[in-house]
This record gives sequence, C-alpha cells and structure tokens, in this order.
Amino acid sequence: MSRNLNVSQCVAESLHIEMERDPSVVILGEDVGRHGGVFGSTRGLQKSYGPDRVLDTPISETAIVGMGVGLAMDGYRPVLEIMFVDFIGVCLDQVYNAIAKNHYMSGGQIRMPIVIKTAGGCIGSGAQHSQTLWGTFAHLPGLKIVTPSNPYDAKGLMASAIESDDPVVFIEHKGLLLTRAEDFPYGADVPKERFTVPIGKAAVVRSGNDVTIVTLSGTVVSAYAAAESLEDSGISVELVDLRSVVPLDVETVELSTKKTDHLLIVDEDYLSFGLSGEIIARLVERNSLPKKVKRHALADVPIPGSITLERAVVPNKESIINAVRELVKKE
Amino acid sequence: MITLKDRYGYMVWMREFELACLEGVPTKEIHGELHLGIGQEAIAAGIAGFLRADDALTSTHRNHMHAIAKGVDMRSMLAEIFEKSTGICGGFGGHMHIFDKRVKFSATGIVGAGIPVAVGHAHAARLRGTDAVAVAVIGDGAVNSGAFHEAMNIAGVMQLPVIVVVENNEWAISVPFSASSATPTVAERSTAWAAFGEKVDGNDVEAVAVSFKNAVDRGRQGGGPSIIEATCYRFRGHFEGDSDVYRASEEKEKRRAEDPLRLTRDRLITRGDSTPAELDQLEESIHAAIQDLLTQIRSDSYPDPADAMQHVFVGDEL
Repeated sequence: MSRNLNVSQCVAESLHIEMERDPSVVILGEDVGRHGGVFGSTRGLQKSYGPDRVLDTPISETAIVGMGVGLAMDGYRPVLEIMFVDFIGVCLDQVYNAIAKNHYMSGGQIRMPIVIKTAGGCIGSGAQHSQTLWGTFAHLPGLKIVTPSNPYDAKGLMASAIESDDPVVFIEHKGLLLTRAEDFPYGADVPKERFTVPIGKAAVVRSGNDVTIVTLSGTVVSAYAAAESLEDSGISVELVDLRSVVPLDVETVELSTKKTDHLLIVDEDYLSFGLSGEIIARLVERNSLPKKVKRHALADVPIPGSITLERAVVPNKESIINAVRELVKKE
Repeated sequence: MITLKDRYGYMVWMREFELACLEGVPTKEIHGELHLGIGQEAIAAGIAGFLRADDALTSTHRNHMHAIAKGVDMRSMLAEIFEKSTGICGGFGGHMHIFDKRVKFSATGIVGAGIPVAVGHAHAARLRGTDAVAVAVIGDGAVNSGAFHEAMNIAGVMQLPVIVVVENNEWAISVPFSASSATPTVAERSTAWAAFGEKVDGNDVEAVAVSFKNAVDRGRQGGGPSIIEATCYRFRGHFEGDSDVYRASEEKEKRRAEDPLRLTRDRLITRGDSTPAELDQLEESIHAAIQDLLTQIRSDSYPDPADAMQHVFVGDEL
C-alpha cells in the first residue's frame, strides 16, 4: 500500500518502524520528544517509546553526541539529532575524534552504529542556519554521509542508516522538509511497509542524452525542474541523484557521462575543496573526464540573509538552466 | 574484600608498568608523546575492585593505571603502547587510545571528551534497567572544558549513576589549577549539578577507596552522580620529553618525597600487616613479572603496513 507522504512524515515513520523492530534504537536531541522535532520528523515517537528512549536533552550538543558514543559502546544504536547542521561546530570533536575514529583506533573492536540526524540547506535563514556542510563531514574518514532528495528515499535511507554498523550523518534538507508531498515531481508515493534504500548507490532519476547533471538533496528538485524546462528547448538532460556523498558512487556518474560527454555538477555546499572538485578528480584518475565539465555550487561566501542576496549565490532552477546552456554552448 | 596489601600490590603493578613504558622512549620503540602517571597510583589503586565488567570506565591521555584498575589485560596493553600487532587495538590505537570492549574501558586523547561518553554509558544502564555505573576519570584541566559542564548537568538533571574522579595534580601542563579555576576546589562545584561532591587525599589509597566505594554504592542505589576530587602530584613532566621548567625544582622535590607507594608501604609495616621482607618480595615478584611481559612483547611482530586501510568502516577487514 502506498500513500502520498512528505519527507518529515517518512523520516518519522522510518524511525518508528526501526524502534519497533529493534529495542536498541534510541533517540536523543533537542525538542525530539514532547515537540516531535522542530520539523516534525520525530513526531509521535516519545509517546510510543517513552522519555528514556526518546530523550529531550538540554541544549548541550557535545553531551548529546558524547552520550551517543557511550550508548553505542554499550550496545545501543543511537540516533542523535543536531537540530541544524550548522550547530555541528560546537560538538565536532565528538563526531570526528570519537564517532569517526573509535572503530579504527580500537582495531575493529568497537562499533559506532550511530546516526547523526540533522537538517541543512537554504530556506532564507542566513549564514548560520543555511549550510549543508556535507563536504566538511566527507573530508573526515570514518563517516558515511547521506542526504535524500525525496520522501521515498528519506524513508528507505533512514532505515539503512539505522541498520548500518558504521556511523551515518543523515542530512535532511530543510527546503524538502517544508515541501508538500504533492509538490515533489516523484518519490512521494511511499509504501507503508519497511523497505531500505542502499547507502552508496546513486539513482538516475531522469534519462537524457546531451548533458549529465550530478547533484543531491534539495537541488535534485530544482535540477529536475530545470531539466524539464530545458527539454522544451531541445536539450536532453540526464539527472543523477548521488543520494550519498560517502560512499561516492562515481561509477554511476561515469556511466552517464560516457553517454553525454557533458557534466554539470550542482552542489549546494561550498564550491572550493568539496564534492564538485572531488567528482572531477575521481573521473580524471579513472581517465574518464567528459569533453566538457562545469561546476555550479554555492559560491565561496557565507550565505547572506536577504533573499535577493541568497538567490545570487545558491544554485536554483534558473541558475541551473543557465549553467547547462553555458555548458552546451558551441565554441 | 580487598586488603590494603592488595591495593599496595596494584600500586606496584602500576608503577612497574609505567617504568616499563618509560624504557621504550630512549630506545625509540615508542613514538609520539607518552604520558605517564607515576606518582598518581593511589587514585587508580583506590578505584580497583569496586567495578564490575558491566560498569564502564572512560579515561584520558594518562590512562594506563585506570586500565589496570578496570582489569584490562596488561600484556596486550603494553604491546599496544609498544606499537605491536599483538596490542589490544592491533597497533591502530596507540597509548592514548586504549579500548577494551570486554570490560567497557575506553580512553581518549581529547581533554574532557570522556565525560559525556560516561554519561551515555550511564544512560545505557538506565535503559537496560540494571544497577551498572559509569566512571569518568579526568584531570583537573578537564574541569574547565564545556564538556564537563554539559555532561555533569545532564547527569544531574537525570540523576544518572555517573562517578567523575578528578585527578587534581594541580597542573594543566604548565597552568596551575589556582590560576584556571574560579573555585578553590572542584568538589564544591558539585552543588551546581545536583551531584555529591567530595575532596579526598589522592595520595591515601584507603581514603580514595572509601570515597569511591560510597560513590559507586550511591550510583547503584539511584542516588545520582558524584564528583570525587582526589589531590595528587604528577612526578614527571606532562609527557616524556617535557622540559617541565614551569614547576619549581623545590616544589617537585618536596612533592615527589610524598610518594604514595612509600606512604602505603610504611602504613602496612606500621600496622603490622606486612613485614618489610614480605613487601620486598612482593615488589620483586611484580617487577620480574612486568619485565617478563616487556621481554615477551618486544619479540612480537609489528603491524603489517598492508593493513593500514582496515577498520575505517565495518567490513573493511573482511
């Protein structure tokens, strides 16, 4: 049975199913219990599983993440909510010095089956509440980074993240969390039953022949709309949703660019030293660089407050269309 | 029942273990900084014997003696410190990062980072409905970290069975405690977090044992968190190679004379619990046993460089 669900409903439903089937799954974070999460993605869970398994914590991110480390070492599968990914700065030590390294430093003895559940992306909130930061996490070995683009993937990837014996940073895009089910071009028709979407496998969400757009998370929706619009003017776009940054499914990207020979990478994270450069470097190393390549990412500036300024630096449907036109322009 | 002589034995094992590690520095068998706890044995030996395998203990960069107190195997820990493949972490951890899943022991090289981890273990005990406790051993430097406050506050508001043992050796590397803490003691801060707080003479192994036992009992009975501030002195530099010019020679000389091993030995003899000859024999047998471990691990193999990419993710080793 399928229903039209939005992203936060899918995340909450996935958490509910996982908590039901595995008593070692616990949730800790700010406003996750009584309030059900500031985006509603933990709604109903405290009522079902009680205040110890769905723990409303003080505003103490270092303690939240540190407790997650202790719980994981004690046999639990904690889901740690960091309300906005921008707040990771106050607790990054526990993330990259403990969660990401304990399995390695212990010679494989200790597992860290932890999900860091957080929200990122631009919705007009300014420099400290708009970042995506997946490139920051991806630079640090030992973390898997997942960021779904639609309700179906949100449900299935959350199930995989909780099931994973490795730590997973699960970044929900705030723009998608606020998108109604009927406004997704696809993926809102979600089965009630448990299912998983494998971590590390990209999805070709739209086939095309002229240009490959590789992106993930919120900009999949804007790239999809851009692709539809470009189709009308005779440019056929293949759209690849990476779904995870680590592992990075460069094989799927390569398969697509072998066909199109044109690659546009759209990234809502900062341009420099990040995902877009990494994809190109990996294609170069595989001796598989397409004829034409372009990066369209968040400019290397803090994200501005006013919406007119934000639109000037963050990829959106119109800027993606322009970038594709630029890419296919004959010299 | 652990006797004073047993605790003295622990102290000798700890001292001999640290001295064995020290042998690996000039020979360059141990790379990087090595932090030894010589002079602080009475605290770890006072903790010994009260914790079960299901009680967790998180420790610091100066962790060897706490590991011994928790029951971590000394041979595999020594092998880890000497960077051997037979080490408890296969050589992937090193001396600051000792993990023993079997007895729920872990250490971190980040000052203060072990405290919230202990709170997580305590929450796990509550979720499980057992009377297990969680211990974080920290130094006086860590009490000024944000992690200490965040963790203590949660332990207090949830009344979790967390015991924080603060080894107050008065020096956070070169900065004296008096210049870095707004309060003269750590123990008096405990009221801020609805915790029990007590300052004890960390050179007195029996005083530490009594205080620690009470804290463990309180934790097991639902009495909430405790802070035990145990005063002590770091006999050596912060790490092996530290010039240690920030502490006056007279201070070091005077404080090293208050050796907890000698104090405990004298107490055993004064009380008539042991004769000097018995204690000489005990010391010699432990010295020989540690030296035997050192000889053994020195002939162990080093990790295979081909394995360096293992363990980043689960399944890498398959």
